[in-house]
Amino acid sequence: MNAFVMKGLAFAVVLMIATIVVVKQMHIDLNDPINWITILGALAIAGLSFGVAAKYMGQMKTDTASGELAEENWDGIGEYKNELPAGWAYSYLGVMIWGLWYFFMGYPLNAFSQIGQYNDEVQAYQKKFQEKWNNPSESTLKEMGESIFLVQCAPCHGETGDGLSGKAEDFTKGRTKARVLNIIKNGQNALGAFPGMPPGMASGAAAEKAAEYVAGGCKGKAPAEFSVCAGCHGKTGEGKPNVAPSLKGYDVKAVLTKGKTGSIGMMPSFVNRFTPVQQKALDVYVNSLKQ
Amino acid sequence: MQSNAAMEYDYSIVKLYMWTTVIFGIVGMLVGVIIASQLAWPQLNYWLGEYGTFSRLRPIHTNVVVYGFMISGIFVGFYYSAQRVLKVSIGESKFLMTLGYLQFFLYLIAASGLVISEGMGITTSKEYAQMEWPLDILIVVIWVLWGMIMFGLIGMRREKALYISMWYYVATFLGVAMLYLFNNMEIPTQLLSGGLGAWYHSVSMYAGTNDAMVQWWWGHNAVAFVFTVPIIALIYYYLPKESGQAVYSYKLSLLSFWGLMFIYLWAGGHHLLWSTVPDWVQTMGSIFSVVLILPSWGSAINMLLTMKGEWNQLTDNPLIKFMVLASTFYMLSTLEGPIQAVKSVNAIAHFTDWIPGHVHDGVLGWVAFMVFATLMHSAPRVFKREIYSKSLLEAQFWIQTVAVVLYFTSMWIAGITQGMMWRAVDEYGNLMYSFIDTVNVLHPYWVIRAVGGTLYFIGLLMFAWNFFMTATAGRKLETEPQFRSPMA
Amino acid sequence: MFHWLEKNPFFFAVGVFLTIAFAGAVTILPHFNKSAQPVKGLKPYSVLELAGRHVYIKDNCLSCHSQLIRPFKAETDRYGQYSLSGEYAYDRPFLWGSRRIGPDLHRVGNYRTPDWHANHMWEPTSVVPGSVMPAYKHQFTNIADTETAYAEAVTVKTAFGVPYGDDIQPGRAAYEKVLKSKVLPEALKIATQMKNKDLIARVKAGKIPEVVALTAYLERLK
Ligand code: HEC
Ligand code: HEC
Ligand code: HEC
Ligand code: HEM
Ligand code: HEM
Ligand SMILES: [Ca+2]
Ligand SMILES: [Ca+2]
Ligand SMILES: [Cu+2]
Repeated sequence: MNAFVMKGLAFAVVLMIATIVVVKQMHIDLNDPINWITILGALAIAGLSFGVAAKYMGQMKTDTASGELAEENWDGIGEYKNELPAGWAYSYLGVMIWGLWYFFMGYPLNAFSQIGQYNDEVQAYQKKFQEKWNNPSESTLKEMGESIFLVQCAPCHGETGDGLSGKAEDFTKGRTKARVLNIIKNGQNALGAFPGMPPGMASGAAAEKAAEYVAGGCKGKAPAEFSVCAGCHGKTGEGKPNVAPSLKGYDVKAVLTKGKTGSIGMMPSFVNRFTPVQQKALDVYVNSLKQ
Repeated sequence: MQSNAAMEYDYSIVKLYMWTTVIFGIVGMLVGVIIASQLAWPQLNYWLGEYGTFSRLRPIHTNVVVYGFMISGIFVGFYYSAQRVLKVSIGESKFLMTLGYLQFFLYLIAASGLVISEGMGITTSKEYAQMEWPLDILIVVIWVLWGMIMFGLIGMRREKALYISMWYYVATFLGVAMLYLFNNMEIPTQLLSGGLGAWYHSVSMYAGTNDAMVQWWWGHNAVAFVFTVPIIALIYYYLPKESGQAVYSYKLSLLSFWGLMFIYLWAGGHHLLWSTVPDWVQTMGSIFSVVLILPSWGSAINMLLTMKGEWNQLTDNPLIKFMVLASTFYMLSTLEGPIQAVKSVNAIAHFTDWIPGHVHDGVLGWVAFMVFATLMHSAPRVFKREIYSKSLLEAQFWIQTVAVVLYFTSMWIAGITQGMMWRAVDEYGNLMYSFIDTVNVLHPYWVIRAVGGTLYFIGLLMFAWNFFMTATAGRKLETEPQFRSPMA
Repeated sequence: MFHWLEKNPFFFAVGVFLTIAFAGAVTILPHFNKSAQPVKGLKPYSVLELAGRHVYIKDNCLSCHSQLIRPFKAETDRYGQYSLSGEYAYDRPFLWGSRRIGPDLHRVGNYRTPDWHANHMWEPTSVVPGSVMPAYKHQFTNIADTETAYAEAVTVKTAFGVPYGDDIQPGRAAYEKVLKSKVLPEALKIATQMKNKDLIARVKAGKIPEVVALTAYLERLK
């Protein structure tokens, strides 16, 4: 190999190494087929372009022009009747045959469906991660939840879950007594997963007692004043599906499927975006944020 | 062999386009440097109020460099080289001269109109086809005038067979004409609404997926018939002419030309991979993109082989340097494009910096280098003066080469990294990065690109100065040089 | 044969034209009708939303934002359900974009709110530290061109049968009526949700700031 080709290839290799180093710093898994095909593609681009161009540079240094000239001549420009470079001609023929094969035999007209492939991808994903984390421990769930939260929820709730000063629910405070009182007084119809809660379910001292119990996270035995609430929310505020949410903590699963209209905006539904394990993880994480 | 000394050609229109090439080049690339810097330092968005944001300036950059700089450069090459390879002076026909001037002035109006309307936010938003209908009509007129001039000259020619460059000019004319018309089918909204609203506003005849298909059928082939085909016309004339070498192989020219014509049009689907256009159209786009490597490389190889045995010219003639590197970057971008058109690779590359990286391999390394060589080779013949400074040209070459390398390596790494970050999942299968994380990692690469762009722009200013001095103060030449351009 | 063509430019040109002409037809035409069909329940853009769409085009948001969610798990996790052809049936022009300096916006209406946009368009870094998106303060003072939007609605209704109501008719009188009865109330609702006193006051005075129309459009992307 001549010196030019070596230099061309060396450039390609340096570029590839730099690329891989940078990518690796971002903790990217190069075993993902899309990723390694891309890396290979990049290598082919740099290697072939610079390698082949360098080969012809080499010929500029060593070869001489020769061949039979055509009789025509334009503004002093002549033309040789040289044959096609063999490598080029065979590659051309090769890719044409490959193209025809691909289109008519390999993957004829409608053989490929990108939506079909998407469904496969989702299935493979479920399999890979569901099996791996079938029975996660509490601390795994929390970590898992945090990692989802930082990408999917932090845009509204903030990285620490403080709701970006009122833009969304502040998980670090949880449901305060004042807020519960407010809900008891005015009712609420914000969670898509439930019918509304009518206003005025309790008042005065009864409301105070019930609110205290709820703000405390519904721990222990419910006070008598809570019995009104228990009708919908369950004996100790554990919630009833399709009737009323849990008051023991945030009913994460319910918000994720149906969203919530907040005082400053709307939390979208994340329906079908998370597996049951992921929902559980979010539940654990979100409910761990209260200080 | 006939001598060409006897022939006198008329370069008055060439001169006009030379100046627009230089001016639009400076304006367009200055805006390029600005938008590159805005991504690295967003506070630069606020110099000009609403007119200075990245999003308003980006289409001004693309339109001015493509339709100002590049098209002007192509017309320089056409009006200069077509006369010579057809062996007919445009000055022989008063009629064609008039058409030529008319074409130039309409062009100037259209190009300025484009910049102004783009700045005001009057746009149809389709990339490389932002013009609203009044400008569309003007552009059609300009194109028809060009066709009349081209076929007029061909009709008067003294050289029986068309030289390779002419093949490519004819193809440019036909390709753009056909594509432009179909992509710009739009209805002015005042027509049917009883005269309501802005007079220049129109609505596309196609909607959604269909609109996308037509637009990228155009967009891709704008790359074909504006960024590629006419530039090949330039290199087929200027490289053999400057070097005095005969073209390596007629057969290779032939197969590359007809192959390119046939295959290019089918590859447009690669701009719409993984979108809602039918699967088979996408597959077709990918396959034809890969096949397209060969006719593209055919021309580049033909040019490199034309230079074989001419190492000394490469080392001591900067114009040859520009053209040989142009061929190399042409090879790079026509291999990079097809590989980015492979569906799996496109899943990473699409939407990322790697695409502008690919674009600028082509435009900075191939198109602009050829335009510089075109102007500099023509200048001594047009102005009958020696090129003002060889060392300036040499310095420009090296500065701009470094610039292109900085541009494309940074965008390459940035694009691949970002594309992979968008897909990355952690051990639990959850997305690893929020969107803004994937933006913030790009900062260093955006800085490198801005530096590269600035270097390229400095090279351009050196070129402009060199060109201006050649036209006005270069040493006078007695006789026209046959091949190599004389330079001080 | 080829050499003969090179000596006969007319036939040469015809040859080139034939070689390049049919590829477009073969790829575009077979699906033309199918691709033009809307998904079930798709509503045409309201006049206010169209005006917002024009702002999106004018300020060329598509230089940074795509509106095309590709069918990859990573993308549906991030942005929601992948895009369907029929969802774009009333998009003239299409706004898929070819660059994603910012996130995809095809379903941004699902997870952003008018008041968030009010903050974000005024100063992106105030809600997303590190954002490179420019602030679009001029959209808070520039007035949206609802008349052109209305003209477009009339045009697509007449020319392409886009299902607008009977109130969308040619002529100034019809426009004024729709402006009062529909566009302004819709704008007021958005402005109120944006919780910006200036914007509300302007809409009440009959002038719709660009950012209000734009927000109506962004809210519609679901
Ligand atoms: C008629 C049934 C019913 C009764 C009785 C009832 N609730 Fe509710 N409660 C609901 C429903 C339904 C919701 C969900 C409302 C929504 O969609 O936002 C709710 C929501 C709440 C919430 C807000 C939860 C959240 O995540 O936003 C609190 C706090 C609450 N109830 C407390 C109480 C208390 C305390 C009492 C007793 C004083 C009570 N509820 C009585 C039906 C009831
Ligand atoms: C686009 C903004 C947005 C995103 C993204 C978002 N949320 Fe919310 N979320 C809200 C808003 C707004 C509220 C309602 C705040 C209020 O009550 O005023 C809310 C409320 C909640 C609540 C309280 C529900 C209740 O019972 O009162 C929970 C739990 C919650 N979000 C969890 C999440 C999780 C988990 C994620 C990520 C998977 C998430 N959110 C993503 C905006 C968002
Ligand atoms: C220079 C590039 C750039 C331009 C131009 C730009 N944006 Fe952005 N945009 C971004 C970036 C980066 C983000 C992500 C960070 C953030 O949210 O600010 C973003 C985020 C957004 C978001 C939030 C989406 C989400 O999912 O979080 C919206 C909505 C948006 N932009 C709308 C617009 C509109 C409307 C315009 C035009 C008037 C526009 N952008 C112009 C770069 C840009
Ligand atoms: C064999 C030849 C080529 C092929 C197959 C090809 C392929 C591609 C592909 C796949 C994309 C990216 C589409 C996307 O994902 O968004 C692209 C973009 C682009 N290419 Fe090429 N390319 C080729 C040669 C060139 C050359 C030589 C140039 C310029 C001189 C060029 C200019 C561009 C431009 C300007 C874009 C950007 C289009 C946009 O705005 O999105 N290409 N090309
Ligand atoms: C000083 C030189 C230049 C600089 C600094 C520069 C910079 C830029 C920048 C920053 C972008 C936006 C990329 C992005 O979206 O991230 C861009 C886009 C583009 N530029 Fe340039 N540019 C330069 C020269 C040119 C030239 C000479 C041409 C053509 C002849 C050109 C054609 C384009 C095109 C077609 C795009 C759009 C690419 C796409 O949409 O994918 N540029 N340029
Ligand atoms: Ca147009
Ligand atoms: Ca683009
Ligand atoms: Cu293309």
